[in-house]
Amino acid sequence: MSSIAEYVEKLNDPEESERTYAAEDIGYLNVPEGVPPLLARLGAELSLAVRGAIFQALIRIDGDAPIEGSIRLLESDDPQIRNQAVDVLRHKGARSVPFLNIVMRDGDKDLRKLVLDVLSGSRTSDAAEIYAAALHDKDPNVVITAVENLGGIRAGEFRNQIEDLLQADSHPMLVAACIEALVEIGGESSLAAIRRRFKDLATVPDFFLASLLKALAALGSAEEFAEVASLLPVRGPHLRPAILSALIAILPRCQLPVLAGNLLPCLQAVVNGGDPPLCRYQAVRVLGFWAARDDVCSFLVSCLSNPERMVRLGAAESLRTTDRPGLQPVLTARALEESDEEVLQALTC
Amino acid sequence: MPDLSVEQFQSLSQLIYQKLGLHFDAKKIYFLKTRVAKRMAALGLADPREYLFKLGYADPKGEEMQALANLVTTNETYMFREYDQLQAFANHCLPEVLSIKQARGERKLRIWSAGCSSGEEPYTLAMIVQDVFPQAQSWDCEIVATDIDENMLKHVAAARYGARSVAEVPDEYREKYLIEDGDEWVVRRRTAALVQARNLNLSDRMAMRAMRGFDFIFCRNVLIYFDDLSRKAVVDHFYNALNPGGYVFLGHSESVGRVTTAFKLKRFENHLVYMRE
Repeated sequence: MSSIAEYVEKLNDPEESERTYAAEDIGYLNVPEGVPPLLARLGAELSLAVRGAIFQALIRIDGDAPIEGSIRLLESDDPQIRNQAVDVLRHKGARSVPFLNIVMRDGDKDLRKLVLDVLSGSRTSDAAEIYAAALHDKDPNVVITAVENLGGIRAGEFRNQIEDLLQADSHPMLVAACIEALVEIGGESSLAAIRRRFKDLATVPDFFLASLLKALAALGSAEEFAEVASLLPVRGPHLRPAILSALIAILPRCQLPVLAGNLLPCLQAVVNGGDPPLCRYQAVRVLGFWAARDDVCSFLVSCLSNPERMVRLGAAESLRTTDRPGLQPVLTARALEESDEEVLQALTC
Repeated sequence: MPDLSVEQFQSLSQLIYQKLGLHFDAKKIYFLKTRVAKRMAALGLADPREYLFKLGYADPKGEEMQALANLVTTNETYMFREYDQLQAFANHCLPEVLSIKQARGERKLRIWSAGCSSGEEPYTLAMIVQDVFPQAQSWDCEIVATDIDENMLKHVAAARYGARSVAEVPDEYREKYLIEDGDEWVVRRRTAALVQARNLNLSDRMAMRAMRGFDFIFCRNVLIYFDDLSRKAVVDHFYNALNPGGYVFLGHSESVGRVTTAFKLKRFENHLVYMRE
């Protein structure tokens, strides 16, 4: 059986594949003595394949040594090495948190941001202290990343702090990050906090409106419906998908509102206009909530013959959800003419 | 069925792309919605947001992503699958490698079809090699077809396929390289002779190290079933198994660049391919 000494020697072999195998073998050997030679080789190694194998080995080796080594690599001038060190630390999970805590306390703003990159995407236990510090960081990038992470991992325990940040801070990226985080972890108080900051949707700049509509989609109710619907004819086409999504999300949560006078023609115009197919599909789905009305139902039936398959799909899905008498034969007849497999499935399911 | 909003669909397709490399555009909203509905029902979830959270943040071992992958991917394999990629191989990569070898006086060509399943891919490659390079018969030319499943290797050895497997074979290839036998098609002996079937576990690192000296490696639609670490390890082995100047082909949905930076990305017309320098 080969020893660590043999593998370490092979780490300096002129043959690239031998160095890769040596790094891999050291990883499988899983002993802390393997870490220093791997890190030493990394400093001299030019082959990306060997570098990759070294980082994989650091992931495989248990204990503190690869964590401490990777923490040091966060300070590398080489962005690829920094990113791979982040990846190693991410794989180490909760075990790396005490070390990350120290970096959060002592490191510069770039290191603090990297600490949050390590924590992103997973709910790591014991990271609360790091996040608490990050939310008070003097560097906005660090705060923004912390807020994004907390929204992502649905850390509801930080909801109040994020609501406070939303009121206090004027950095636009941070404000948007706070709204997006509250989409994930917000409650009634969050919607109120958001509305305190943005009282009139009609005057909200586009930059915030997209995030705001997501929040209204997640948290809004009947009160917000009319306000969101009123945006449809007046805001740019790029915001239509977000407006329509918000309407679709709010409607099931409230008693069906009256279909306001201008909403029907407005939605019909989107369905028949030049918007992207997905947006036209959404408009059909919004109309589907009023499929019990004669005028809406007949419009939806006409959509079943639309050349755009997404419009047909939306109409089929919408009409399937109604129990309107006499509709079934219409859908069956349409199914006989439908050539798109998925629309057909939606018509007949 | 859960009403997946457009944002949720976009988040989901982004997540699937990041984890599996599979791209679902807007046209696939219904397809994805029906698959997600199945998974949500199995998990007892009612809100698509809960499912998205599970997939994105509460699936550390990737088990749910794997369960979804099983629903959104097809295990069906057939000859001349992912034709565009094969065109890049036939029209650009293979002629380039052959001309370099000819200039050096080498007469050896080795191709590895890794995770070959029932053998449709290695026989497709055998047909292409014979078509693009008729001199293959006088060269030391070998297509190594490996799979972990012995039953699949028996299929490879039989070189006998049903109509679905050969449905995409262009007519001129079918005439030259296949023989109809009842409702099946048999690969002609001269073409079949290029393919050598072997048992190999892609996760067996010692066995993988023995695989050396290949000019091309095809491993398409196999690695999506591997976790990140194992996928990286396999692709590192492919790098070492290739001769300098050799090419690796993963499935359309599996970008080499997302797994490792070791390969050089090359463009031939509309095709992106990965080469060991």
